[in-house]
Amino acid sequence: MMPALLAPPSTFTGTAEAITLLVLLSEFAMLRAPLSRSQIRLYAFQSLVVSGLAFYVAADRHIGDLYAVGTFSFLLKVIVVPAVILRLLKDAPEDLAGSHRLGVASMVLIAIAISVFGLFVVASLPIASILLPKAELGLATAAILVSFLLVIMRSDVVSQAVGFFSLENGVSVASLAIASGLSLVAEVAFFFDLLVAVVVLGVLMRLHHGRARTLSTNEMDRLRG
Amino acid sequence: MAADQLSPVVIQVLQDLTILFFAPLISGIVARIEARFQGRRGPRILQPYYDIAKLFRKETLVPEDSSWVYLAAPVVAFTCYLIVPLLIPVLTSYPLPLGYMGDILGGAFVLSLAGFSVSVAAAETDGPYAQLGSSRAMTFGALIEPALLFVTFTVALITTTDLPYFEAAAARASLSQVVRPAHLLAVVAFFLVVLSDTGRIPVETHSSTLELGMIDEARTLEYSGPPLALLKWGAAMKQLILYVILINVFTAPWGLAGSRSTGSVILAIPIFLAKAVGVGTLFAIIDNSFSKLRLFKLTEFMAAAFLVAGLAVLALYLGGG
Repeated sequence: MMPALLAPPSTFTGTAEAITLLVLLSEFAMLRAPLSRSQIRLYAFQSLVVSGLAFYVAADRHIGDLYAVGTFSFLLKVIVVPAVILRLLKDAPEDLAGSHRLGVASMVLIAIAISVFGLFVVASLPIASILLPKAELGLATAAILVSFLLVIMRSDVVSQAVGFFSLENGVSVASLAIASGLSLVAEVAFFFDLLVAVVVLGVLMRLHHGRARTLSTNEMDRLRG
Repeated sequence: MAADQLSPVVIQVLQDLTILFFAPLISGIVARIEARFQGRRGPRILQPYYDIAKLFRKETLVPEDSSWVYLAAPVVAFTCYLIVPLLIPVLTSYPLPLGYMGDILGGAFVLSLAGFSVSVAAAETDGPYAQLGSSRAMTFGALIEPALLFVTFTVALITTTDLPYFEAAAARASLSQVVRPAHLLAVVAFFLVVLSDTGRIPVETHSSTLELGMIDEARTLEYSGPPLALLKWGAAMKQLILYVILINVFTAPWGLAGSRSTGSVILAIPIFLAKAVGVGTLFAIIDNSFSKLRLFKLTEFMAAAFLVAGLAVLALYLGGG
C-alpha cells in the first residue's frame, strides 16, 4: 500500500525556493572559486538569479515595482559591476588558489553549519513573508552569513570585494521576502550602497595591486605613510 | 491466474537476470560511445562478454600469503550484486515480494559489503597497489556516505518510508513531486554519489592503466582467472544497479511494467536498457568534458555532494520544499 506522501509545494513556492537555493549554492561556490574571473562570473550568475527571482515574483504576484527592481538589478549587478571589476583587474594575476585560510572542504562544512544556524534562527522568529514562502528569509540569511564567511576566509581582495557585493544580493532576497511591496525603495538604497562599494573597493583593489603587485591581503601587514 | 500473467517470483528472478546478463552489454555500449567521443574507434560492444568468458577459461593464481578470504571475496561481492536487484524497481512499478526485504539504506549496506569484502581481500595481498586501492576505496567510501545518508533522509521525509519503490511512485504521482526543490537537490546529490562510485570522476579514469591514479581498479590488480572475471562482471553489475536507482527511483521511473502481464514485463527490459544507455552516455560526456581532480581535492567533491544533500533535507524540514 502506498504511504501518505508529503504534499509538494505549490508551483510558486517550489520555484521561488529553488531560485533562492541557487543564490545560496552560488555563494558556496564562491568559497572555492580558484580564479578572480570565475569569482566575478559567479557573482554575475548570482545577481542574474536574484534578478530572475524579482521578475518571477513580479509576474506571479502582479507587483509592478519588482519589474523595475529586476531591471536595475540586471543592468547594474549582472552587467556593469562585473564589467567594471574585470576591467580594474585587467593587469592583475588571475590565480586566487592560495587564498584559502582553511581547506575548501573544511570551509564548506563550516558554511553548512552557519547556514543551518541562520535557517533555524530565522525559522524561530515570528516573521512571516506575506508573498514569498516561509523558507525564503532563512535562505537569504544563510546566504548573508556565508558571504561573511567568504570575506573572512579568503585572503585576497577580489574574494573579499565579491563577498561584500554578494552580501548585498542576500539582503536583496531578504528584502523581497519581508517587504516585497517596498522593494523599490529598499533596493534603490542598496544599489546606491553597492555603487559606493564598487568604487571604494575597486580603488582599493587597484591601489593594493599597484603597490604590492599581488591580490593577497596577507601582504597588507605594514602601514605606510 | 491468467495464462499470460507472470508470477511475482518469476518477475523477481527476471529482474536479477536483467542486471546479470545486460550489465556487460551496457558497459560495452558506454565504452564504445566514450571511445567515439575521444575520436577512437573503440572496442566491440560485446567485448566485456568476451573478456569475462576468456577470464573464466584462465587459471587462478593466488598470492602466497593470502588466505581463503582472497578467493571468497569475489564470490561474496558477486552475490551482493545479485541481492540488490531484488530490492529495487528494475522492471516493475509495483513492489515485488522481496522488495520489502530492504530499503535504500539496506541496499547501500549490501553494496558496501561487496566493496568491503573486495577491499579486505586486496589488503591481505602483498601487492602495494592493491593495498593502496583498498585504503583509498575505504576512505573515500566513508567520505561519500554522509551524502548518501542525507539523500535517504530526503526520501524518508517525502514518502514517510525509505523504500525505493515508494520514492519512484512519489515521482510518478505528479510532476510537482519531481520538480520540488528537495527532490531536485537529492537527485543532484545522488548523481554526484554515482559519479564517484562508478569511478567516472573526480580522480580515477576507470579505463586507466596508471596504478597511482587508481582507486577501485587497483584492488583487483592481483586477481586472475575466474575470480577476476567475477570482479569485472560484478563491477559492471554495480554500475547498472546504480543506474537503476538513479533512473527508476529518482529521475525517470516511467516505462516500468504496471502489471504482471508477460508483454508489459518483457517490454520494460528494452525501455530500461535504453534509459541506462542514455545515463551512461551522459556520464561518458561528463567524464570526457572535465579534467580530473588531484587526489587531495577529492574532499571538495564529497563536500559538494554533502552540501547539496544537506540542503535537500533542510528545504523539506524548514520550508516543506
